[in-house]
Amino acid sequence: MSRKKLILNFLVLFIFAFFMYGPLLNTLMLAFANKYQAPHVLPLSFGFTWWQNVFAQSDLLQAFFNSFLVATLSTFFSMLICLPAAYAIARYHFKGRSLFLFSFLLSNAFPKIGLYTAIGIIFYKMQLMGTLTGVVLINILNTMIFMIWIPTGAFQNVYRQQEEAARDVGAGPLRTFFTITFPSALPAIVVAAMYTFLGALDESQGTLLIGFPQVKTMATAMYGIILDQAPMVGAIFALLLVLPAILILWLCYKFFGKKSFLQQLFIK
Amino acid sequence: MKKSDDLQKKWTPYLYVLPAFFLILLLIVYPVVTSLSLSLKNKVTSHFTLDNYHYFFTDQVQLGNIGYTLFVAVMTVILALLLGFMLALYIRFNNNSLSKTVVALTVLPQFIPGLVAVYSIMLVVRNGGVLSRIAQSLGFTFNPNLMYSANGLIMVNLWFNIPFAALLLLASLANVRQASIESARDIGADKWTVLFKIILPATYKQFFIAGAFVFMTNVGSFTTPFLMGGNNPQMLGVVLYKEFNQYLDYNKAAALSVILFLLCSLSAIVYVIVNLRQEKWR
Repeated sequence: MSRKKLILNFLVLFIFAFFMYGPLLNTLMLAFANKYQAPHVLPLSFGFTWWQNVFAQSDLLQAFFNSFLVATLSTFFSMLICLPAAYAIARYHFKGRSLFLFSFLLSNAFPKIGLYTAIGIIFYKMQLMGTLTGVVLINILNTMIFMIWIPTGAFQNVYRQQEEAARDVGAGPLRTFFTITFPSALPAIVVAAMYTFLGALDESQGTLLIGFPQVKTMATAMYGIILDQAPMVGAIFALLLVLPAILILWLCYKFFGKKSFLQQLFIK
Repeated sequence: MKKSDDLQKKWTPYLYVLPAFFLILLLIVYPVVTSLSLSLKNKVTSHFTLDNYHYFFTDQVQLGNIGYTLFVAVMTVILALLLGFMLALYIRFNNNSLSKTVVALTVLPQFIPGLVAVYSIMLVVRNGGVLSRIAQSLGFTFNPNLMYSANGLIMVNLWFNIPFAALLLLASLANVRQASIESARDIGADKWTVLFKIILPATYKQFFIAGAFVFMTNVGSFTTPFLMGGNNPQMLGVVLYKEFNQYLDYNKAAALSVILFLLCSLSAIVYVIVNLRQEKWR
């Protein structure tokens, strides 16, 4: 590569990386700023003053707790509802199979805000507005696509002969599922659960429309913080929202090893 | 015994898909049908009327909102495809450690919560934000004026959609065989000929698919315009939120939801047509 081309390459990459990551790094820096005054680009002093401020606001702590509650419940129920469907689609050839498969894609065929409003109108009638149940339902709907698609592929890759062998030596269907099928599909299920959990943690529009103000999560609290509070409070909250994603990605990285981890990420 | 076993086998898959399918009926089919019927009713008398739609297509402010939404979405599609394609080309045809870093940089943003990204960009581009401060410390005044403007919205949309478009297009670039490019180069084809005669014919379907997805997510976007957009004109997602949450006009909200569904079905139609044509060629 010629020198000129090399410099050009670096320049383009630098602009791309700067556009994508510059703002995030600035926010990360502000999370540890004490004083950030107008003409100065860098904070005048660093420290944890604003962290004390955030942890002193009890409703923000409540939002933190709610976020994890919603994400955990959504992931659990999503697995309960979607994994059997994924298994049926992977393993059985039945009438209407493609219709069911198509229906599970529907949630992505509508603009989210339009769908949430339509659901909101129904939830008013069913008295699910502002309830935890309503918010969890929205999150399950959002993440169904991961919980059905990714495990379906994984179940299809489990050798049928292995299952049949287990049945032949007398294992019941449940035992076969939990000793043969489930462990083989586990990596994919873990990835699907990861996407579901992170998706529920980040979900803000649906929760704002259906749950607000009774069910306040970190993501919905962020709207208010962005509009009314100091940049440092927003930055700390942003960091708290990103940390679970980093932690879970790191755990998956440990779990799968580098190569297959990257492969799993590309599924999406 | 045998017979009941067979019967059981026949119904097992239906039993398994039932909970998920019930959820789809409850959370998609039922709400969409209800919205459709509400949108055709008068708020007070519940008689059939087209007024709710008439309002959005005749009111000057609402027409402005529709045009603004389409403008932002279409510009986002064009720029995201163009820049995403350039990024994908770079990754595909440079096989060095630098391009691997770029792949990692492209994959990661999907794990950043949307609100965090929007907020971080706001802190940089708002008047008095990082860019203004840098200009000020260099001794001149500069206001990017990106808040409350279409340019700002498009810029944030690009943050989300360039990596997305790049990854989709990268997948289709994998189909372009290195051998066909080399043989074209051998018989004297220049860069542009290779691009138009070999690379684009192999990837153009993916352009439509990526474009359809980008259009759909941006026509119905809410978070970015809610935080960054002005009051006039507004993106339809924000108008819908206000209709539903502040004005409590469910009939108009339902009509606007249906309008958004129809706008998105435009991109769904593109998606289906492209896929059908692909089937025919096989």
